Amino acid sequence: MVLKQKFHEAFKGTVERITNPRTVSAFKAKGVLSINEFILAGDNLVSKCPTWSWESGEPRKRKPYLPADKQFLITRNVPCLRRAASVEEEYEAAGGEILLDNEDDDGWLATHGKPKESKIDDENLPSMDTLEISKKNTIQSISSYIGGEDEEDIPDISEFEEPDNLIETDPATLQSTYLVAHEPDDDNIVRTRTYDVSITYDQYYQTPRVWLTGYDESRMLLQPELVLEDVSQDHARKTVTVEDHPHLSGKHASVHPCRHGAVMKKIIDVLLLRGVEPEVDKYLFLFLKFIASVIPTIEYDYTLDFDLGSSSS
Amino acid sequence: MEDADSEKGQKNLIFAPFQSAVDEGFWHKLSSLKLNKLGIDESPIPITGFYAPCSHHQVPSRLTLLAESLPSEEDQEQSSSVPSATLNQGNRNRCPVPGILYNTNTLEGFQALDKKSLINTEAKKIWDDIHTGKVEESSSLLLRFIVISFAELKKWSFCYWFAFPGLVLDPPARVVSLRPASQCLSSEQAESLSAACNEWRNTSLTTGVSFFLVCIALNSHVTIRHLADLEACKNDGHKVLFGFYDPSNLPSNPGWPLRNYLAYICIRWGLEKVHFLCYRETRGFVDLGLSLIGEALISVSPEWKTRECMPKVVGWEHNKGGAKPNVISLAKAMDPTSLAISAA
Repeated sequence: MVLKQKFHEAFKGTVERITNPRTVSAFKAKGVLSINEFILAGDNLVSKCPTWSWESGEPRKRKPYLPADKQFLITRNVPCLRRAASVEEEYEAAGGEILLDNEDDDGWLATHGKPKESKIDDENLPSMDTLEISKKNTIQSISSYIGGEDEEDIPDISEFEEPDNLIETDPATLQSTYLVAHEPDDDNIVRTRTYDVSITYDQYYQTPRVWLTGYDESRMLLQPELVLEDVSQDHARKTVTVEDHPHLSGKHASVHPCRHGAVMKKIIDVLLLRGVEPEVDKYLFLFLKFIASVIPTIEYDYTLDFDLGSSSS
Repeated sequence: MEDADSEKGQKNLIFAPFQSAVDEGFWHKLSSLKLNKLGIDESPIPITGFYAPCSHHQVPSRLTLLAESLPSEEDQEQSSSVPSATLNQGNRNRCPVPGILYNTNTLEGFQALDKKSLINTEAKKIWDDIHTGKVEESSSLLLRFIVISFAELKKWSFCYWFAFPGLVLDPPARVVSLRPASQCLSSEQAESLSAACNEWRNTSLTTGVSFFLVCIALNSHVTIRHLADLEACKNDGHKVLFGFYDPSNLPSNPGWPLRNYLAYICIRWGLEKVHFLCYRETRGFVDLGLSLIGEALISVSPEWKTRECMPKVVGWEHNKGGAKPNVISLAKAMDPTSLAISAA
C-alpha cells in the first residue's frame, strides 16, 4: 500500500544515521537551517508568539543533536472554524491568485494564495519524485479512530445507566448543549475543530516540518482523512502525508518537507530583491506564513508585525 | 448602573464548565505503564493535568492530559536522564493541576465505581486545603480533578470520564457587575495591569501560578502578588482584585476555577463582596477586552463556613450524549496487526 513511502522513510532514516546534522549555515543559499539556526529561530518564535512552546516529547524519541528541553515546538488547542475547501472557493470567487510563483516581487506575501510547486531543481534537495504517494493509499493508512467498523471492539456504553442525580441541575453551572441535544445552539458557544500544530526539525531535508493533530467539535481525536479537509486542496492529496511523529505517540498528518527548502529559498530571494536582508532568527515566521497557504483555516499564531530583517537599501 | 440596583437586578453567577482533552500520548503511556509496571494493581494514580488561560477568543482553553501527565515508569529507580517534570517547569502553556486517575481492570469495575463518593472525596480535599490554608502555598489545589478509566488493552480502546469538583455556594453567588476589564479601568490602570500581568506570565516561577492578587494602588500602579499576601495588600490600602487564569472564552460566564476560588475567598477571608479578574489572553499576551472584571455577592449561611459542614459538590463532565463516559479506540494506531496490514 504505502510501500514507496515506507522505502523512502527507511532510506531517509539511513541517511540521517550516517550523515551529521548540518552545522554550517546555508540559510540564504539553500533556504535550509542548521541545528543551531533552528533553535535560534525557535527561541525567537516562542518569545514573540508565546502560544508556542518548546517541548521535550517522548524520552526514547529524543534526538541527541537537539537540547533535551528543545526537541520540537508546539501550539495546542488552535481553533479551526471553517474547512479549507470552503475558503478556497470564496478566494477564487474573489479573484485571488497564486502569488508564490508570481514574478512580482512581493508576490509571496499573500497568505491564502495557493503556491504551486515550482520546478526548482536543486541537487542538494531531495526531490518529491522519489516519493510518489498515490492518492488513496496515504490517506487510508489509518481509518477511523472512533466507531467505524470496529464498533464491536468498543465497550458498549449505550446501556450505561447513571443515576439521574449524578449530573444535577445546578443553577450556577452553564448547561452544555450536549445535555439537551435537541435545543439549538443559543448559548454563545461556538463548537469548532481544534488543532495541535507542532514543528519538528527534519534532519534529512534540513528544514522545519509541520505536524497536525486534529480534534473534532466534541474534543475527540480527528481521523487523519478529516484532517485533510483543513488542508488546501492543492496539497491535501499530495504534500500532506500521515506518518509517525518524531517526538510524540501515534500517526499524525504532516506537510511533507521535500519542497520546503526550495520554497524558503524563493521567499528569501524575493526579500533580497526588495533590499531586505533576511535574518535567520525570523525563519520560522516566514516559514509559518508559507505554511498558512497550506492550512489556511487553522488559526495558529505567527505574528509578523515587525521587521523581517535589516533593510540594506 | 447595576451597582445601584437592589437584589432583583442581580443574576446568579454562572460558570462555564472546564473542558477536558486527552492527548493520544497519554493512552500510549498508560498502556505501557499498565503492561510494564502496574499489572493488575488498581490503586489510584496521581496525575498532572495542564491548562492555560484562554488564548483564542473562539475556543476555551482545556484541561489536557499528555504523556507527561503520568508518573514515569522509572520513578522508583534513579533515572539518569532528566525527568520530564523538570524539563517542563516554567512552560507558560502548561500550568500544572493535580489530579487522580482511577483505572479499573474491567468494564464492570468501571461501571461499579461510586462516582458520587469519588467526587465527594476529592472535593473534601479541596475543602480541607481551603480551611488549613494549604491553598495559599499551592493554589492549584483548588483545581483538583478526577479521571476514571477502563483501558481495554487487548482491543486498544479506552473508556474514560473526567470530574472537576466544584463546591456549590448555597445560595449561589450573585453578579453585581461583569464587564470587559478594559471598560472598568482607567488607561493608566490598564497599562500598568497589562505590564504586571505579562511580567507574571513571563517569569518562570509564577507563570504556572493560576490564582493571584491584583493590587491597584491609589496612584493607579498595579502589582500582582501571591494569595498569601492579601493582608499586606489590604494594609497598604490597595484595591484588590482576585485574579485567576480563566479557561473560559465567554463574555458573560467566568470559567470553572472561579467556583472554588469564591468558596476559598468566602471561607478564608470572610468576604461577602468579591471583586475578581478573569484573566484571558490573545496570542499569548493579556487581552483586557477579553478579560473580565466582575463583582459578586456571596451570602452563605454561617454553618456553610465550618469545616465539618461539607457543601454539595458538582462537576462530572457533560460528554457527548450527556451523563456518559467517553470512549476512544486507538486500535488503528496501536494494534500491531492492523499496523502491519496498513503498512503492507
